[in-house]
Amino acid sequence: MAFYASRIIQILPYFLKGLLMTIEVSGISLILSTVLGFVLGILRTADSKLITRSIGVYVDVMRGTPFVVQVFIVFFILPSWGLQLEPLPAAILALTAMTAAFICEVVSGGIKAVPKGQWEAAAASGLTRMQQLRLVILPQSMQTILPPLVGQYVLMIKDSSVVSVIGVTELTRVGWQTVVRIPEGLMVFTLVGILYFVICYPLIRLSNYLEHRLSLQTVKL
Amino acid sequence: MIVFKNVHKWFGKLHVLNDINLHVRSGEVVVICGPSGSGKSTLIRCINRLEKFQQGELYVDGQALHDHSINLTKLRADIGFVFQQFHLYPHMTALQNVTLAPVNVRKIDKKEAVALGREKLARVGLADKAEAYPAQLSGGQQQRVAIARGLAMNPKIMLFDEPTSALDPEMIGEVLDVMVQLAGEGMTMCVVTHEMGFARQVAHRVIFMDAGQLVEKGAPDEFFDHPKTDRAAQFISKILTH
Ligand SMILES: Nc1ncnc2c1ncn2[C@@H]1O[C@H](COP(=O)(O)OP(=O)(O)O)[C@@H](O)[C@H]1O
Ligand SMILES: [Mg+2]
Repeated sequence: MAFYASRIIQILPYFLKGLLMTIEVSGISLILSTVLGFVLGILRTADSKLITRSIGVYVDVMRGTPFVVQVFIVFFILPSWGLQLEPLPAAILALTAMTAAFICEVVSGGIKAVPKGQWEAAAASGLTRMQQLRLVILPQSMQTILPPLVGQYVLMIKDSSVVSVIGVTELTRVGWQTVVRIPEGLMVFTLVGILYFVICYPLIRLSNYLEHRLSLQTVKL
Repeated sequence: MIVFKNVHKWFGKLHVLNDINLHVRSGEVVVICGPSGSGKSTLIRCINRLEKFQQGELYVDGQALHDHSINLTKLRADIGFVFQQFHLYPHMTALQNVTLAPVNVRKIDKKEAVALGREKLARVGLADKAEAYPAQLSGGQQQRVAIARGLAMNPKIMLFDEPTSALDPEMIGEVLDVMVQLAGEGMTMCVVTHEMGFARQVAHRVIFMDAGQLVEKGAPDEFFDHPKTDRAAQFISKILTH
């Protein structure tokens, strides 16, 4: 036991550095994918068939291919098209592109869940399309959007482990690097798992709380 | 104020509006009735361009609606629309519902808008419900808030699409009272309704639609007591027995 403890103290600094990198990659991707996902989700509900179909194709491709393949494409294929990225920006680009597709679906689903009469009432009073969306539709959609949105963040943090394959020294890669050097393999990946859980768990609770609040509100209305 | 000239509209193959000609003068109250599916909603929804039409001409307050370059938000700002299902914004109080468009479309000052909103709510008899959310109001109260929301834009025209059809019978009166008062003040109104009492009391003209056609128009008493067409006679006998 004492042996384990000293081992943990020995390796912990590396793991914390890995954890910080995981938080950095996920955090930046979270912000970017939220912005991009909302823009795509809003455009997905637009009138133009060309726009909605193009976004639909994009979303299907992102949802229908393994994330690890997407990461390889960004890191190894894009350079041959002239876009050469360091591992960290490549990881952020891949995570953002994938998560934005899922957020797009969450957002457009939330917007479509608002009854058509709300758009009509807002339009009839002279509000522009952007005002209708901002003042009337989105505030009502947020209730349905928030719980699955936070759920997407959890999935993204876990998927960020995949970017270890292109050499981003985040938590999972630190795990791989450590496990080849010391004999306690089980302990290493248990620690990796615990550290992921520590950042994901509050978000899971938040998502559950938002969902619970939503169901209460639906009962009230 | 509103002029339809040979207006046609199709939903796919369905000919919903078939050669509509109609002239509504300023200050006139026109009641539109007819069987379900005859195109009444579509007709009044064309007036504020919630629906487009494919053929013909439509002028509203001097603007040509068949010209697709018109400024839609400006047109709609001057036309109040009351829906059968109210469509109040559920996340806002009654007062916020009423002041939303004045603040964001007319760009009037917040304080001024609140005073205006309270005045319009008082006018529909709901001064004490300003802070209530739609879910806390009865159907009749919600519909009156919806009317106040339209009035807050000081519209030139008010359109009503079966404003009392979704209401329990005991709440119909309170909504009709507000509309009667509005008609008395000289508002230009187009009202889709089967409330014959209301039509007889305030309408200048009744229009009867069937299968997308404007079949008959006339003064209310004349229309209800001596309909000229069989279709209208049949329809009137049906609403009388209900
Ligand atoms: N958005 C739509 N798409 C296709 N058909 C429609 C649409 N809206 C209405 N209709 C059809 O057009 C006809 C007239 O509808 P409407 O104007 O709502 O009639 P009313 O208000 O007199 O009951 C009906 O047959 C209805 O089914
Ligand atoms: Mg109708």
